[in-house]
Amino acid sequence: MTLLSLKDVTKAYGGVPALKGVDLSVAPGEIHALMGENGAGKSTLIKILAGVVAPDHADIQLDGQPVEIGSPRQAHSLGFRFIHQEFNVVPALSVAENIFMGRQYPKRGGLFVDWRKLNQAARDTLQKLGISHIDPARPLGSLSLGDQMLVRISSAFIGDDGAPARLYVLDEPTAALSRGESERLFTVLRELRAIGASVLYVSHRLDEVMAICDMATVVRDGRSIDTGKIADITHDDLVTLMIGRRVEEAYPPAIAAPRGETVLAAQELGIRGGRNVSFQVRAGEVLGIAGIANAGQRNLLRTLFGDLAATGGSMVLAGQAYRPRSPADAWRAGIGYIPRERRSEGLVLSRPIFENTTLPHLAAQSRWRIWLTPRREKRVTSQQGELVRLKASGPGQRVRELSGGNQQKVVFAKALLGKPRLLLLDEPTRGVDVGAKFDIYSIIRDMAAGGMGVVLVSSDLPELIGMADRIAVMRDGAITDIVAAAGLNEERLLNLCYGR
Amino acid sequence: MLTVLRRYGTLIGFAAILIFFWISLPDTFMTARNWLNISQQMSMLIVAAAGMTIVMVMGDFDLSIGSMASLAGIVAAILFSFDYPIWAAVSIALIVGLAGGAVNGLLISFVGILPFVATLATLTMLSGAAFVVSGGKTISGRVIPEAFGNFAREGISLGNWGGVAVSLPNLTIVALIVAVLVWVLLEQTTFGRRLYAIGGNSEAAHLSGVAVRKLKLIAFALTGGSAALAGVMYASRVASANPTQGSGLMLNAIAAVFLGSTLSEHGEPRLLYSIVGVLVLGVLDNGLTQMSVDSNVRQILVGGIIILAVSTSSYTRRLR
Repeated sequence: MTLLSLKDVTKAYGGVPALKGVDLSVAPGEIHALMGENGAGKSTLIKILAGVVAPDHADIQLDGQPVEIGSPRQAHSLGFRFIHQEFNVVPALSVAENIFMGRQYPKRGGLFVDWRKLNQAARDTLQKLGISHIDPARPLGSLSLGDQMLVRISSAFIGDDGAPARLYVLDEPTAALSRGESERLFTVLRELRAIGASVLYVSHRLDEVMAICDMATVVRDGRSIDTGKIADITHDDLVTLMIGRRVEEAYPPAIAAPRGETVLAAQELGIRGGRNVSFQVRAGEVLGIAGIANAGQRNLLRTLFGDLAATGGSMVLAGQAYRPRSPADAWRAGIGYIPRERRSEGLVLSRPIFENTTLPHLAAQSRWRIWLTPRREKRVTSQQGELVRLKASGPGQRVRELSGGNQQKVVFAKALLGKPRLLLLDEPTRGVDVGAKFDIYSIIRDMAAGGMGVVLVSSDLPELIGMADRIAVMRDGAITDIVAAAGLNEERLLNLCYGR
Repeated sequence: MLTVLRRYGTLIGFAAILIFFWISLPDTFMTARNWLNISQQMSMLIVAAAGMTIVMVMGDFDLSIGSMASLAGIVAAILFSFDYPIWAAVSIALIVGLAGGAVNGLLISFVGILPFVATLATLTMLSGAAFVVSGGKTISGRVIPEAFGNFAREGISLGNWGGVAVSLPNLTIVALIVAVLVWVLLEQTTFGRRLYAIGGNSEAAHLSGVAVRKLKLIAFALTGGSAALAGVMYASRVASANPTQGSGLMLNAIAAVFLGSTLSEHGEPRLLYSIVGVLVLGVLDNGLTQMSVDSNVRQILVGGIIILAVSTSSYTRRLR
């Protein structure tokens, strides 16, 4: 039995093929994983399903009947629902208003919005996801990123009269979610499956896919490579299928580097919205920072980087007092920074790679700090590109045209120019495909081996355990433990994060 | 085909306009004399549009440049009436422009008011100030030094072409110098590079160590300064100053930068493209005037052409 079947889907953008022949078939009551590296064609396929992009060729059948998806409205009436990362929301409006956007609001006297009913309906919807801690009357923008994502997700689960939902398409829904929040989502997905709805699930997180999906289809270079039952496949097989070669280890081996002198020492450093923290990072060391969402990791990094003013305490960087008043001070002091959101915080997408790479270093990369030297900048950028294994047509290529993994490598090329003493990483592999992930881990290892101190904030616990030498655990804005990563397992680290 | 239309649509349109006027006005349009004349008519707009490009590179704009130009002309004229030498009066007028622009920058970057609101407010204030200082009257006649008025009328002689004496107008030379300076600033210096980064993504620029607020302040000051220069040039050209004479400058400058930015691959404003934008507007104005088209009809045409150019460009961009 098949709910939806796609055969031989092709699509080219201006002569460049994005899909060269994809087959996909989803059964009713099935959670089906769609997997592949960035640029493999997943997004194009989803856009075709959503009626946003017209395929060059496709045989699409729903319940055995050929259908065409000419517009988002048509996709909706066929029973397709989409939840993607870049969902349209209005941060200034309330949670309830966002959930019911584009739908009929309950009215009083046929004219005025019945706010009480609206909020109650929103509360019921959230309750379906097991969410009770979100007040539907609050502005959406005041919630944490994870909570915002939950609200977006829940809005896709509202029952519509007329067009019952048949297939939910989720594109990287857990990217901003904490573990607990993801678990809630999975519970809902399992419930949907139980009532016969199907789910097409796109994620880079293999563990998740292994845990909740029934079937998987892997796409590579615009072709569907294989479809199979999750139960019959191993983690390693999936990786091999996705990138087309075997990756022996998820994390490159640690290079036994002699731990050098202290690069950064924070003494009772006051973090805005948190408490005072003390810790040290030595040369050649990767200090991991763990914690559940919003435990203060982000503000800690931003304080180290001079973007948030410290509320007290002191820092010593390479033996000298360090009091940054802006990110510019931090760059000058020899600190490189990889922000969490590469598109909104890390890159100027409309500018070429070399302009992004040299932006924090323009004083050193120019003549008399004033005159640009583009030829030298491009040469330096090419060297940096080799260092981070960047795949691009040249230093003059616009960053927007690169895949997610390569964009992140540009952020690294920028941070590593001029050999910083200390590298601050905020979720450096988020939304990055498996192959690029391994490259990024190797870069971090190489840098540490070269004597750089590294601070790694991550919500990916295996990543922390695999990459860090020591892990500082943050809870409610304070560092509660600092433990050696060797011999630590995920469960133990999770318990530390929750304070159990 | 579409890419050609997107990239060069404005240029193709410009060429069509040129050919149209050349055929319609065979004797007067394609002559050196007319083009030098156009260059002089456009010189104020070139200076104002160059200044406007500086802030538009950051994704901002400045509505106050028209009233700033008026005020600068008035300030210079008033100082002439107090017997200030030309260099001093002009310098003070330019300083007023820089200071006014810096106030815009202060409001936008440090107080955090949207450019639209901030410069709309200063537009009103500067315009009011121009009326107060001048008493609402046109300042002209004997108080304006002869040399000041002559400056705009004179130029560097280019010799006799076909029996007619031609010269490169001083105002054109000033405009060219400003254009070159702004081009160097935006394309060749770290300052310009950082402005483009702010325009692309100001948060990423900030986190990359760019002093966003300071640079915004400087950029707006420069825009104010160039508006003041345009105002002084205008005063020289008509050998008088009145409190509304710069008012047409703002819309035309923004229009020129927008028209020009349709030429750039990624829709960013660039100085050379802004100059092309000014050229399109200037040629239209010159040709239509020679064809005795009513000035109100001219405005309708110019507005329509701007909409056509910008919409073709954004429409073809979307089709990709």
